[in-house]
Amino acid sequence: MSLIKYESQVREPLVDGHKTYHDVTEDICHTIEAKPTRLWYIGFYISVALLMFGVFSVYREVTYGIGQWNLGRTIGWGWDITNFVWWVGIGHAGTLISAILLLFRQRWRTGVNRAAEAMTIFAVICAGQFPIFHMGRVWMAFFTLPYPNTRGPLWPNFNSPLMWDVFAISTYFTVSLLFWYAGLLPDMATIRDRAKTKFRKMMYGVAAFGWTGSTKHWQRHESLSLVLAGLSTPLVLSVHTIVSFDFATSIIPGWHTTIFPPYFVAGAIFSGFAMVQTLMLVMRKVMGLEQYITLSHIEVMNKVIVLTGSIVGCAYLTELFMAWYSMVPYEQDHFFKYRIAGPYGWSYWLMMTCNVISPQLFWFKKLRRNITFTFVMSIVVNIGMWFERFVIIVTSIYRDYLPSSWSLYYRPSIWEIGFYLGTFGLFFTCFFLFAKYFPVIAIAEIKHVLKTSGESYKGEMTGIERMTDEQLYADAHHHDDHHHAADVKVAHN
Amino acid sequence: MEQKKYWQHFGELKNSEAYQESLKDEFSEDLTIASGNGLMEATTPRRDFLKYLGFSTAAAMAAASCEMPVKKSIPYLNKPDNIIPGVPNYYATTFVQDGNVVPVVAKVRDGRPIKIEGNDLSSLTGGGTSAQVQASVLDLYDTARLRFPLADGKEASSFEAFDKMVSGAIAATAGKPVVLLTSTQTSPTTQLVIDGFLAKFPGSRHVQYDALSASGLLLANQASYGKYAIPSYLFDKADVIVSLGADFLGTWLNPVEYSRQYAAGRKVAAGQLKMSKHIQFESILSLTGANADERFIHRPTETGAVAIALLAGLGGAIQAPALKDERLKKGIAATVAALKAANGKALVVSGSNNPDVQVIVNAINELVGANGTTVDWSSTLQTRKGSDKAMADLVQDMNDGKIGTLLIHGVNPAYDYFDAKKFESGLKKVPVTVSFNDREDETTVLCKYAIPDHHFLESWGDAEVKSGYISFIQPTIAPLFKTRAFQTSLLKWSGNDTEYGEYVKAYWIKTLGSQDAWDKALQDGVIEKPQATSASAYNGAAVADAASKLASTKIGDKTELVIYSKVSMGSGKSANNPWLQEMPDPITKATWDNYAIISFAMAKELGISVDDNYEVETFKPVIKVKTAGRELSLPILVVPGMHPGVIAIAVGYGRSEKTGRAAANIGQNVFPLVGFNGTTFDYHRTDVTVEKTSETYDIAYTQTHNQYEGRKEVVREYSLTEFSKKPGVLSDERHKLAEDYAKNTGDYRVEGTLYPDFPYPGPKWGMSIDLNSCTGCGACTIACTAENNVPVVGKSEVMRAHEMHWLRIDRYFATYRDDSGGDDLDNLNVVFMPMLCQHCDNAPCENVCPVNATNHSSEGLNQMTYNRCIGTRYCANNCPYKVRRFNRGVIEKCSFCVQRLQEGKLKAKKENRPLETGADGKWDIKTACQQACPTNAIVFGNVNDKKSPISKIRNEEQKDRLFYSLEQIHVLPNVSYLAKIRNTDRHVGVADHAHHEAAAAAAPGEHATPAH
Repeated sequence: MSLIKYESQVREPLVDGHKTYHDVTEDICHTIEAKPTRLWYIGFYISVALLMFGVFSVYREVTYGIGQWNLGRTIGWGWDITNFVWWVGIGHAGTLISAILLLFRQRWRTGVNRAAEAMTIFAVICAGQFPIFHMGRVWMAFFTLPYPNTRGPLWPNFNSPLMWDVFAISTYFTVSLLFWYAGLLPDMATIRDRAKTKFRKMMYGVAAFGWTGSTKHWQRHESLSLVLAGLSTPLVLSVHTIVSFDFATSIIPGWHTTIFPPYFVAGAIFSGFAMVQTLMLVMRKVMGLEQYITLSHIEVMNKVIVLTGSIVGCAYLTELFMAWYSMVPYEQDHFFKYRIAGPYGWSYWLMMTCNVISPQLFWFKKLRRNITFTFVMSIVVNIGMWFERFVIIVTSIYRDYLPSSWSLYYRPSIWEIGFYLGTFGLFFTCFFLFAKYFPVIAIAEIKHVLKTSGESYKGEMTGIERMTDEQLYADAHHHDDHHHAADVKVAHN
Repeated sequence: MEQKKYWQHFGELKNSEAYQESLKDEFSEDLTIASGNGLMEATTPRRDFLKYLGFSTAAAMAAASCEMPVKKSIPYLNKPDNIIPGVPNYYATTFVQDGNVVPVVAKVRDGRPIKIEGNDLSSLTGGGTSAQVQASVLDLYDTARLRFPLADGKEASSFEAFDKMVSGAIAATAGKPVVLLTSTQTSPTTQLVIDGFLAKFPGSRHVQYDALSASGLLLANQASYGKYAIPSYLFDKADVIVSLGADFLGTWLNPVEYSRQYAAGRKVAAGQLKMSKHIQFESILSLTGANADERFIHRPTETGAVAIALLAGLGGAIQAPALKDERLKKGIAATVAALKAANGKALVVSGSNNPDVQVIVNAINELVGANGTTVDWSSTLQTRKGSDKAMADLVQDMNDGKIGTLLIHGVNPAYDYFDAKKFESGLKKVPVTVSFNDREDETTVLCKYAIPDHHFLESWGDAEVKSGYISFIQPTIAPLFKTRAFQTSLLKWSGNDTEYGEYVKAYWIKTLGSQDAWDKALQDGVIEKPQATSASAYNGAAVADAASKLASTKIGDKTELVIYSKVSMGSGKSANNPWLQEMPDPITKATWDNYAIISFAMAKELGISVDDNYEVETFKPVIKVKTAGRELSLPILVVPGMHPGVIAIAVGYGRSEKTGRAAANIGQNVFPLVGFNGTTFDYHRTDVTVEKTSETYDIAYTQTHNQYEGRKEVVREYSLTEFSKKPGVLSDERHKLAEDYAKNTGDYRVEGTLYPDFPYPGPKWGMSIDLNSCTGCGACTIACTAENNVPVVGKSEVMRAHEMHWLRIDRYFATYRDDSGGDDLDNLNVVFMPMLCQHCDNAPCENVCPVNATNHSSEGLNQMTYNRCIGTRYCANNCPYKVRRFNRGVIEKCSFCVQRLQEGKLKAKKENRPLETGADGKWDIKTACQQACPTNAIVFGNVNDKKSPISKIRNEEQKDRLFYSLEQIHVLPNVSYLAKIRNTDRHVGVADHAHHEAAAAAAPGEHATPAH
């Protein structure tokens, strides 16, 4: 047995329940091939209803103007941009899981990456709605694109962080979509091959891009995955960095903060993993995927949550420290009088509780492996992270430089709330369709790890586990020598 | 060859019926008028608010069918000499309302007056205006005006028929007197018309009635000087100005003139650190009090005692009264000392309508040597002549059935007379009642006949604001509605068929001697015959009696009520003017309402906590005010500097439904609470009980936070004493800041930013605003609204911070509460700071716009390209001054009146000469705010022109007071300010060390502003 395939039994299996390749295919394809359940219909229709409410809310806003929202002369961005940053942040977990964990060869990613990537794409779609529809004249949105034109030509302002956003978000969406779809190809082929109706065969056939499973296909597939992972990796860091530039490059106390890029990236991963948890915990239960998304998957993700939660906690405290240390009265007033106290003080402390204090409970292994607790925490973190963005955006601008312009209390209008709910509708409509028509777990990738990390295969490693260090070393060297010898031989030829 | 057809929409292409129909109407959009549940419930979108309120030039088209045809764009065959389509003409005329007179110039484009400017040939106003004057152009287009004569509520078929009816009716009352009831009447020719009319009807009389009366002052002057008149006050000649409750910068007598004089006496320049000292005694915080150097508060019932104490202190043979308040006593002593030291250059005025108080004030002025120096009898003010007693007598006569005919012009007693019920019952007993008022107001609806007068912009006429200072009124547009000059009616009814316009012309040609002289006078708009300042013989006989009457006044120990008028609303004549309704009150910053203003102490007593929640929520507790058997429920606003025992409510609100949509059902009428002591109206009440209710009421206000939190970089203020000791205190700090930014290159402009610093080779526009001259009156705000078509949004939208003003006046109360939650009266300094786009050279709004919609011109303008704007509002968020407004999906803001800049540049170019921006008093360009300002606080011009006033202010005259708001963030604004200097020994402003301490202490709440 080659050492490369060896994974210690100390590590928990990534696939429980003595699965064979066929079992894997059956388990994952089964929901696609069966009729949707009642529960699916209920969820789907609720989502569509929410989506319709959102569409109506946006219709109101586009037709009658931003006056449908409760923004004013001081608070120019409220729920709109808060929701934007929140949704973009959510997307980050998917990219981190699929790209960075692939490069780091974290095999546990295979259980969750497909759904997480889907979540990324849907979240980015939702996020994108806000910067588009927060425009007063959305029909002129194409002005942000650098296309040759007869007005000069007149280009967009490349100094503007909003301009950078346009590129960052669109690049992010494109690469994520490609990456996700590239991974889907072998699985689509699997479903095509199992299809029993002509229509189904045709649709999945088209979707599979003519995948035959040849070695050449696999080789190219693997290379493409690596390349896209390489492309995605900087995006995990850059997208939220650029989103944070919307604020960091401004002059408003509370926005004008150099710590924002790392702080935003950590926050994004933090909220993204929380959302992955929320979705996966429901999905594994409803779709019976407990043996693929195991407790150890959940625990690993909870570790990421406690890590990134602590990073954002540090960032929060650093902001306060820097405000004090800077001796800039405007910064000090902002943080100490109007952020942690003042009319919106409650939102700061809600954020602190949800994002910094409560995730610390994940230091306890028992809680990390408790499904109910994890689920509740994932919701708490998502609420906290929404409020983080609200705190940054609204509590910074509601009292800025000129006290004369300080704002009245800002409450969202029904159409602002409707827009937000609408993106939930959009997200879950997409997700329900995904869960019905797409393999929610990467079949091919699970099969990759099955023989090293599947429960039954791990059992077969007892022999290796019993080797002493010396034996193991010798075994490894034996292989090494063998290779060297072969190389020499070839060279001599 | 085939002819191409260009079309904009299918209607045009197919030439549909609807399109044909729409061609007939120049303004083809429909009025979006919601079915009427009143203003506040209206579902009308904000964008059409003004239309909803019924202001429309479409009316001008429909009703006037004025000379400019709109159906076909065929140019004139014979073009009138001076009319070029699109190019405005200017006509000198005069704003007249409620007796107030301001010489103005109307800008008329394509036959329609569109903007009012002050007439700078008037030596009284120097081209200054007020908010009311600026807003008056909108009243012309008010569709709530009465559009035709009414007889018994029905439209009269013609003026002739109407004349017949009225003449017949008057004849039928034979024997009973005709009474002409008007507001103060300042027109010489109208007086002749009236005299002629009265002569025709023996036993008839003319009664002048002012809702906001100066009867007390007139009576006192009769007693002291033997003249039922008001002298000219020369505030600029006074080194010490003491005002006993006179709001002379806001609402008292002739504020535009007084503001100008006042500011002239308070111009501080390098090497000339001298200014007048202004001490204010009052019960509520008025606009004038807010500008005072020292301010002392007292109960309204103590007004007489304060006056007597001053007189006694100055050596008047009189017993000084016992005053309890230590601070007030000290204030009186200090004032006495200052008045004595002024050596004749002092002026004491009082806003009281009590003749006894005014008699004492006259005695004081006599003692300090004001008579003949600052009180000038060579020319008397004509704007208040009303006699309260004559009005009360008239109402009694009406009730006694002694009046046969009552002709009413420019007054509205059914609304603003203290005993309106009695007036109404009297009106019913008058057989013939005719109203000349412009709308179906509370009085007009009760009259049998109504024949609306023209708007002043449609009128001929004249006015004499002060004796010897005539200004003329000429029409700028044909009457929009079927209205007629009230003088023409009088002429007709007295058997003279001359039109009043002809009458005026004939009179003045005769008086001036020639047609040419008349043409010149009409073109200039004013004729002035200034005379040397002179005194009037003083008679102190009335003093002892007045003093004894005042001494017997019982000093109240409970709550007292002050009835005041707002700068915007006055007596309420302009209540249907949405520009004025939406103009934030200078003191409270509230719009669209009246309310009870109370002190912090009273709020505490009533159990109202003035906390963050009070600040950020629009709903305010409602209190019940009971006095004289009447009860009013009003929301409160807490204002510092109020006497703890006083509540104050503004008049001018609570108008009837027919007054117009903007006026109806807004606020409450407090005129019924005015008292009458048998001689004069009393605008105070002593027997007031106040209780809190559980209700709340929304007030739309534009400024939530009232102090500048020790942020001295925002606004600078110093005491004259401290500034004289260290005139470099501000400029040194600025130099240090500049050096910090310029460590390597020596050029702070370049080094302070990543972005390039561009050259400005041509003109570079700049504005300077002198905070010492700015009184906060708000004329600039309305001028800007009129010039730039700034929309009115209505109360519900102001409540959502959607007000659109491009130029606002920030009002800061520097330290107004002590630690106990009471008022910190010793340190209450009010600063007004006009705030508009600062046109930053390193503008934070410009680099964040994703589409380059806001960018910088080579002349230093921060430009908005509406067509390019997609409405992300990023620029507004990143604007440290928060001057950007979001309207119709795009951002708007101050453009430095770019249309005027272009016009001025083109004019200079056509005449092939350099642009004039104020050097040697020649101006090609003035911004609307600059032009409207009565105190010349705003100076605008080309900074690159070394001879322009703006350059001189910045580089020579005012180097020491110059600052840029928030200079430390290096946005390089093009608007500079001149620090506010207060003539006091008290510490004013933020001490150098205090700012950091306050910030470092970082205690939540509002108490962090350093006081000392």
